Amino acid sequence: MDGLRNHVQDVFRSVFGDETLVIQDATTADDVPGWDSLMHINLIIAMEKRFGVKFATAEIGRLKEDGQNVGTLMQVLASKMGRIQA
Amino acid sequence: MTVGSQGFVVLVAVTSIAFPLIPGVRTRQAALAACSLAFLASFIGNAATWIALAAFLSSGYVAAKVLRARPRTVLFAAYLAALVTAFVWIKKYDFLADLLPAALLTHPVAIVGISYMLFRQVHFVVDSMQQQVSRQSLWDYINYQLNLFALLAGPIQRYNEFCESWSRLEPLPQDWREVAAVWIRILSGVVKMWGFGAVLLFAYEKCHTRLIGLAGGAPNDGAWVVLTLFAGLFITYPLYMYANFSGYCDVAIGSASLFGLALPENFDRPYLSRNLIDFWTRWHRTLGFWIRDYLFIPLYRFVAETWPRSAAKLAFLCYFVAFVIAGVWHGTSSSYLVFGLLHGIGTSAAKIWETLVIRRRGRAGLRTYLASRPIRALAIAGTMGYFALTMFFFADSIEGCFLILRVVRAAISGLGGM
Repeated sequence: MDGLRNHVQDVFRSVFGDETLVIQDATTADDVPGWDSLMHINLIIAMEKRFGVKFATAEIGRLKEDGQNVGTLMQVLASKMGRIQA
Repeated sequence: MTVGSQGFVVLVAVTSIAFPLIPGVRTRQAALAACSLAFLASFIGNAATWIALAAFLSSGYVAAKVLRARPRTVLFAAYLAALVTAFVWIKKYDFLADLLPAALLTHPVAIVGISYMLFRQVHFVVDSMQQQVSRQSLWDYINYQLNLFALLAGPIQRYNEFCESWSRLEPLPQDWREVAAVWIRILSGVVKMWGFGAVLLFAYEKCHTRLIGLAGGAPNDGAWVVLTLFAGLFITYPLYMYANFSGYCDVAIGSASLFGLALPENFDRPYLSRNLIDFWTRWHRTLGFWIRDYLFIPLYRFVAETWPRSAAKLAFLCYFVAFVIAGVWHGTSSSYLVFGLLHGIGTSAAKIWETLVIRRRGRAGLRTYLASRPIRALAIAGTMGYFALTMFFFADSIEGCFLILRVVRAAISGLGGM
């Protein structure tokens, strides 16, 4: 999962334009200034391009709900990538 | 009978004691379905409405089935266009009077809660098409749509979430303390609706009647009286809406939990929002999230994938379009269009402002800006004021609003001449 986290962190840094940004599993939207609905979709679109996956509308919304964090995002991402590889 | 009325609370008190004693989930589902049907029937006065309601809901189920098997965007777009057209016709939107012969608009169909049904239906169809619905069942779907606790004014629950508790239907409070807490919530909701809400509405109507009277030529007590009345009108309606709607949600969410249905929360201290984007994650949250997921996300996604270089600029337009549509959804008259336009402007402005802060100060500067208490206090006050302005148009007809604004303008001119 560490390798994936590094790739996901690169996407975060590129989308938020902040090369110092460090993400953890527990990182939430509240921890990253400006992570609102718009940046959330920018993140998802960037993830889709980078990892060759597709998120459904409901998944995008769910990942922005209270209690969701980078760890959940990576789990969903890993499961999608696993499906593609399988 | 409506949610929060005396009769409703008494019925909940009596039936919630007997409900857990009913053996078997299917039997409990049937009992609750019968209650929902009886509740719905109390609002429906003719056969045409029953037929239209059946057609409206069954079309959603059939469309979801078809699109799950064949997820085609063109098919979905055609269904959505037909559904929205039916909705606009059933609701008799004001602008239709200029487009259709009067005979087509004199139909007797009046479906209570159809605005909420529309949004639930769009969600169900989209999620089915994207393989996000765990199980499609007509029985579950109809009960999801007609659930008496969310029928009249939400919250707008998601289908999978409804099915989780519907498949068990066991009361959510586990012991007498939790039951007591639920009842405190229900009764405080009643007090908010019929106590605070009623007083605030009375005050609003007093101010409104006086101002409209002044517009009609009633004797004027002076500019300061007019301005005080206007301030009263401006402040009381948003507070009334909060007391009434959050109280309603307390009654609905609390009552539903006694029957085993977990409804989503709809409010999170909305008057502490620092801008309108933040506001829509705190006020009528399930509507805010619906707008985000089914209007804003698809719109912005389309824009970002089609014109990636201009996406940042066009994002403001997406906020604007999404909130204008949401405003129009609230009601059929042009004042709701103004309400939507103002929310579109407010959400776009919030995003533009944030972009400007980042451009001038960078991400680190944004962090400092967001952490500043004086700025936060100013932002909260500004958001409250702006929301009150939008509610001024929400509460009255456009003609009424302009009559009042004319009286206020005359009062301000009078002050200048003193």
